[in-house]
Amino acid sequence: MNTDFSDLSLMQISDSFFPTGLYTMSNGLETLFSEKRIASIDELYELIQTNIVQQIGPADCVALANAYNFTGSKDVERIIECDKLLFSMKLVKELREATCRSGTQMIKCVSSFVNNDVLSEYYEAVKNSKTPGTHAVVIGVVSNSLGIEKQKAALHFLYGFSVSMVGAALRLGMIEHIQSQKILHQLKPVIAETCNKYISKSLSEMWQFAPEYDVIQIAHEQTFSKMFIT
Amino acid sequence: MKKRIPRIGIGGPVGCGKSMLIERVVPILAKNGYRISIISNDVISKEDADRMRQNLATNQGLLPENLVIGVATGGCPHTAIREDPSINLSVIEEIENEHSDLDLIIIESGGDNITTTFSPALADYFIYIIDVSGGDKYPRKRGLGIETCDLLVINKIDLAPLVDANLDIMERDAKTVRKNKPYVLVNCKTDEGVDIVARHIIEDVLFEQPPKKIITNAK
Repeated sequence: MNTDFSDLSLMQISDSFFPTGLYTMSNGLETLFSEKRIASIDELYELIQTNIVQQIGPADCVALANAYNFTGSKDVERIIECDKLLFSMKLVKELREATCRSGTQMIKCVSSFVNNDVLSEYYEAVKNSKTPGTHAVVIGVVSNSLGIEKQKAALHFLYGFSVSMVGAALRLGMIEHIQSQKILHQLKPVIAETCNKYISKSLSEMWQFAPEYDVIQIAHEQTFSKMFIT
Repeated sequence: MKKRIPRIGIGGPVGCGKSMLIERVVPILAKNGYRISIISNDVISKEDADRMRQNLATNQGLLPENLVIGVATGGCPHTAIREDPSINLSVIEEIENEHSDLDLIIIESGGDNITTTFSPALADYFIYIIDVSGGDKYPRKRGLGIETCDLLVINKIDLAPLVDANLDIMERDAKTVRKNKPYVLVNCKTDEGVDIVARHIIEDVLFEQPPKKIITNAK
């Protein structure tokens, strides 16, 4: 019998049934939509692409990959370094809180069924507020613990982010269900290219730069009536 | 290990009086010395959380303003309290870390349909509230919320004559459908029946334990 369950583990953490709360996040899309600054499918695609290329790829993806490596070398201090660095690069309060809430709930869930020393030690640090528990870093740690390949872990993260935004667009009424799948299909080259570009970068090469997008998300914090957390 | 603070989930359809029930029950619990935090899930705004904060915290001083917390649910109120309660659980963990002296956390669901239920990981006790304006058929129509909740609250009983709702029928059907689990008829506008809801919370959730601050002071 095949005892390599890593692909099944990848399916498990990628499934919308897996509890991470990503469905509550629009990553600024709600503000853009309510202010009528985005309407077409092309603009939606461009927004997600920009976010992946300018923020999620060079920052979260690098942190994830390094956290994955440091889990392999059992270096929890360096995992925490990845976590703190990524946290400091998230300039929007809503985003910082959201990524930590998803991360802490994910590691809590996985810790209930995976026995791994590094995972346990890192989870203790998260519980004791010694490290923020960002979603991307948690995915790096969790994926390594579950035997999921690093590249697949990064693809899972980038794809999950894309689904979160496309799902928000669907619920806002911007697009319908077939269009949502079409956009996800169109994003595949962007996701794959971004993954390949950043998966081997060191922590010192982390960056993110999307100031207009940050301002939009800060505006979301001030919005009175909203459906999404970010 | 941190002691879990008891949690009540309050669910019900849009406009049935979930927030109003909280605004009426919390003063009674606070008068009995209990310290409370409120998490208000809202489908589309923070209006309920803001109103409760203004009324219960700012105006009445019954709890600190930062202990009334609004949570946006991405348009999925039932998901946020059942299938994927991650965000609510995360907020609760933050509260438990910073305010271990609390006696009770109340989680209000966004307005939803009659199949609403809370994840047992999120709420220890589930209050489902409906109002008479949907007609006296509501308890009879069942639904997971009405059938399985720990306490069914039927609100706005003063409106019954105006909408031709027969309260006797609603009571009869509530008893049948719920197999004699408790229900309460209330009018949150006048506080009628609200003290019974508070009594259920003190007896069934807090097990008549005195407030933590009294226990702490006695040590």
